[in-house]
Amino acid sequence: MLDVVAEKITRIYPMGRVEVVGVCEIDLEISHGEMVLIKGESGSGKSTLLSLLAGLDRPTSGSLTVSGLKLESASAGELTEFRRRSVGIVFQFFNLLPTLTVIENVSLPALLAGEGRPAAAKRAADLLSWLGMDKRANHFPSQLSGGEMQRSAIARSLINDPSVILADEPTGNLDSKNATAVIELLAKLNRDLRRTVIIATHSSLADRYCTARLVLKDGAIVES
Amino acid sequence: MRGFFRLWVWFSFRELRGHAWRTVVVLAGISLGAAVFTSVRLAANASVQSFAKGMDAISGRADRTVTLPGGRLPEELVSVLFNSPDLIAVSPLMSAYVRVEGSDEPLLLFGVDPILERPLRTWKSEPSDSRKDVRMWLRLIGDPFTMIASKRFLQKSGVRAGESVRLQGVASAGSFVVLGELASEGPGALERGNIAIADIATFQEFTGVYGEVDRIDLIFTRPLTADKLDRVKALLPAGAELAQPSEAKETGLVMIRAYQMNLSVLSFVSLFVGMFLVYSLISLHATSRRKELAILRSVGASSRAVFLLFIAEGCFFGIVGWALAVPAGLFMTKKLVGYVSLTVSHLFARVNVEDLGLTGWELLLSFAITLLVAVLAACQPAFEASRVRAREALLMREASSRDEANLIRRLSILGLFLAAAVWPLARAPAFSAIPVSGYMATFSLFLGFSLFSPIILKAAGTHLPPIVLRAGLGETTYLGTSYLRSAGARVAISVGALITAIGLFSALVIMIHSFRDSVSAWIHQSINGDLYVRAKMSEINSYRDSLPPEIAAGLEELRSEAEVVPYRRILLNYGAIPYLLEPIDTVSYLRRSGFIFIEGAPASVASALNEGKGVVVSEVFSNQTGLRVGQRFKTVVESVELDMPILGIIRDYRTRGRVVYCSLSFFEHATADSRWTGAIIFVNDRGAGLGRRIVGLRNRILLSAAQWGESIEASAGSDLRLDILQIFDETFAVTTALLFISLVISALGVATTLTILVLERARQFQTMIATGASAAQIRAVIGWEALTMVLMGEALGLACGFILSVLLIFVINKQSFGWTFIYSVDWLTLAASFPLVCAAALLAAVLAAQLVLRGTPASVLR
Repeated sequence: MLDVVAEKITRIYPMGRVEVVGVCEIDLEISHGEMVLIKGESGSGKSTLLSLLAGLDRPTSGSLTVSGLKLESASAGELTEFRRRSVGIVFQFFNLLPTLTVIENVSLPALLAGEGRPAAAKRAADLLSWLGMDKRANHFPSQLSGGEMQRSAIARSLINDPSVILADEPTGNLDSKNATAVIELLAKLNRDLRRTVIIATHSSLADRYCTARLVLKDGAIVES
Repeated sequence: MRGFFRLWVWFSFRELRGHAWRTVVVLAGISLGAAVFTSVRLAANASVQSFAKGMDAISGRADRTVTLPGGRLPEELVSVLFNSPDLIAVSPLMSAYVRVEGSDEPLLLFGVDPILERPLRTWKSEPSDSRKDVRMWLRLIGDPFTMIASKRFLQKSGVRAGESVRLQGVASAGSFVVLGELASEGPGALERGNIAIADIATFQEFTGVYGEVDRIDLIFTRPLTADKLDRVKALLPAGAELAQPSEAKETGLVMIRAYQMNLSVLSFVSLFVGMFLVYSLISLHATSRRKELAILRSVGASSRAVFLLFIAEGCFFGIVGWALAVPAGLFMTKKLVGYVSLTVSHLFARVNVEDLGLTGWELLLSFAITLLVAVLAACQPAFEASRVRAREALLMREASSRDEANLIRRLSILGLFLAAAVWPLARAPAFSAIPVSGYMATFSLFLGFSLFSPIILKAAGTHLPPIVLRAGLGETTYLGTSYLRSAGARVAISVGALITAIGLFSALVIMIHSFRDSVSAWIHQSINGDLYVRAKMSEINSYRDSLPPEIAAGLEELRSEAEVVPYRRILLNYGAIPYLLEPIDTVSYLRRSGFIFIEGAPASVASALNEGKGVVVSEVFSNQTGLRVGQRFKTVVESVELDMPILGIIRDYRTRGRVVYCSLSFFEHATADSRWTGAIIFVNDRGAGLGRRIVGLRNRILLSAAQWGESIEASAGSDLRLDILQIFDETFAVTTALLFISLVISALGVATTLTILVLERARQFQTMIATGASAAQIRAVIGWEALTMVLMGEALGLACGFILSVLLIFVINKQSFGWTFIYSVDWLTLAASFPLVCAAALLAAVLAAQLVLRGTPASVLR
């Protein structure tokens, strides 16, 4: 079963009078349960591709289907539902909401999806416990280390049980010990929970866990 | 210096220009505040200047003025004084307001002796021609019913020199030939040029006041010694007073300045609210640009330079805000000046404002205060910014503002201290009729509430979300309300601005409503007569004219069908404080009407008052003279010394407020003077058709009085009551306008703060979208944030407003004007602030949400 099917997707950003090409005519197929690394230098289009796969942005042209939804033609409501249910995103800068505690941050996507607070809190607590973060559940993000923040962000990405996990430079702001732990965690998600994991990264830490590897340059795939 | 300026342009000005809309909003807020402050000062100053100029013009070069409080001086006194070797000039003066037939505007007519007058006042004619002048002045002395009128009056009435004009006085009407024009300067500029002078003999014939003069102005030989004063005093009849002309001016100025001070403080609140706006933006820069500040420090900027960069930002808002405020302020002054002078005329002394009172000093003051306010607003963020360390530039993520929790705690403690200081400050006495400590208590209250708000917001942010959740309002409400928990000092300060504006609004709404209710209760209890009969233009001429005896006798004959309550009104001074002594037929008055007592038992006071065993005094008189119940009231009137105990203190809201009531029969017996200033008439038959009977009675009185000349006014009580309430509403028109402006500034503040706060957290909202929030949910979260801020501001503002209203009613009004009111809350008007502030906040929330949603959530990956 294919989780991602991309056909000649292009994303162009108008910047005043100039047009900047984010990604250009990318064809891609990712099967369910794969762990894919997207590599490339800064400005190569990794984050653009990830934002298209996450439904955060739409392609300028081409066709993109993720978890069965055609993203280029999906309505705003369908995209919201897609982000809630189908994908979980892990960010380089963690992006935890500073005014919410760890458990509140983790349960937020479930609550936004309309789930009851007790059920969401229970699942969030389970996830935090699984990630070794149960003692930090009632702390605020400002009280956590980088590794703890990223583990909390991973827990948040899993709360709605998505089939695809997208991670944008998940180790970019972590020391090597924490970076290794996070990559191992993502690999575990792929291996044990059978999630499709797509990671955009410079790092070679995940190389040994991946099932596929794409290299981008100037918005195009130069190696796969 | 140039280097610093360049750094400021690079670092601060470009940031301000880059976010032009919020810079413009903050400039609009501070300039509106400065414009209000400047315009109110200028408008009030114009009245002060007009009053002082008028008093100086009338006083001329006189060293002393002789008057007889409550009456007129015998004319023979002029010749007695003229023979004194201690005096080099003696000039009698009479004045009365009269009307030109066919016009409602009063004309101030002076009666002077043109020869004796010359050393004292300079009445310049126009065009100035010495030969013609001499002829004109000689004709004024020799030809009866001639006058010289001001140029402006002649232009306005279309009368030319040589033509006649018909004047309506108190006792009679007559035609005056205009001999020439007075230049619009010195005494000729009084009353905005609505003046004319006649020879004193003509004046006496016209007004029917023979053998008496209003005042005599004196110039002493030099040097002026105590002996000379004593010798001249010895020549005066009993009861006459010898006073410096400046005394009356100073007394008037003290009262007008107290009103000016009240308005200035009220207008300063707009500037104070604008200060919060400046604080809000500079504080945003100090927190959101920490990384840049660290970089600046790492490349060599000292902490002092960073501090000064932010202070300079405050200066920018102060200077540009003030520059924008000047034209706006002048425009507002033109609109305000009429209202302010009307209020001053109603409450204190008749003023006619000609110019805007714009002086270099006033401009400098408004500049200095605007700049100071803006710089003060910049101080705390500047200090915070100066503490950013260079090594933060190397940190992966921005260090949060240090010690914010400590700062909040310190501010809260300071807030508590300031709030606790309100009570002792409120109890301190006034300084020269200006309630300095009352104002300090007011600002202490505002600052206390504003500084205390962070901790209250934190508590609300902790306890409110679970409650809204239990109430089933959903996750978005929970998220919106929980934001307050960690929103920090800046949000609290913005809420502080809202608290200030709502507090002031509520307090003034309560005060005005209490005042109006008290006035309404007073007029229905004490001004409840059916008809009020008195001499024409009685009030404007300071009650010097009494009812003709024939008319008084005619009114006596009405006793079969109506109760007639005669009264006298005599304008006297208690020390330097002018007041009205009002002997009244207390037996009839208290049967039909009554006083609203603050102190004294009504029943026992009434019987003692009827027997002439004491007086009741108004609250204003009591508070301004310090005389309380049981103490003795002493005065000399018509050469008779009155010495009676004060039986009670009553509410009285007539425009100058100081009044002493005693029994008319006692007064007539003591002074052997049975003149009436007027009479209150109560129709006996109160059944159906009362209105018709009142109109019929009024017509009969006027018809009967016509045979004695058109010398009286008979006003229906209902019209009088309406007039009083109309004057009240006009008086508070300025206050209402100021209130509205401060509310608008605070709404602007809430809108700006909210938009800044939302945009500052755009990444957080984009993260929420990325993790599954819909646009509607984002809008709801932002909307609830806005609503919670407004609700907290409203709740705390109302609490602050209720305390402030007590301060205004029982401290500031009492110390400024001498009166207090029956406390009464107008809930409906009080609620009016809520929709305005809510609408502003929700509109800002919608706009801010649109700005967030316009961005792409993909930005969180960059």
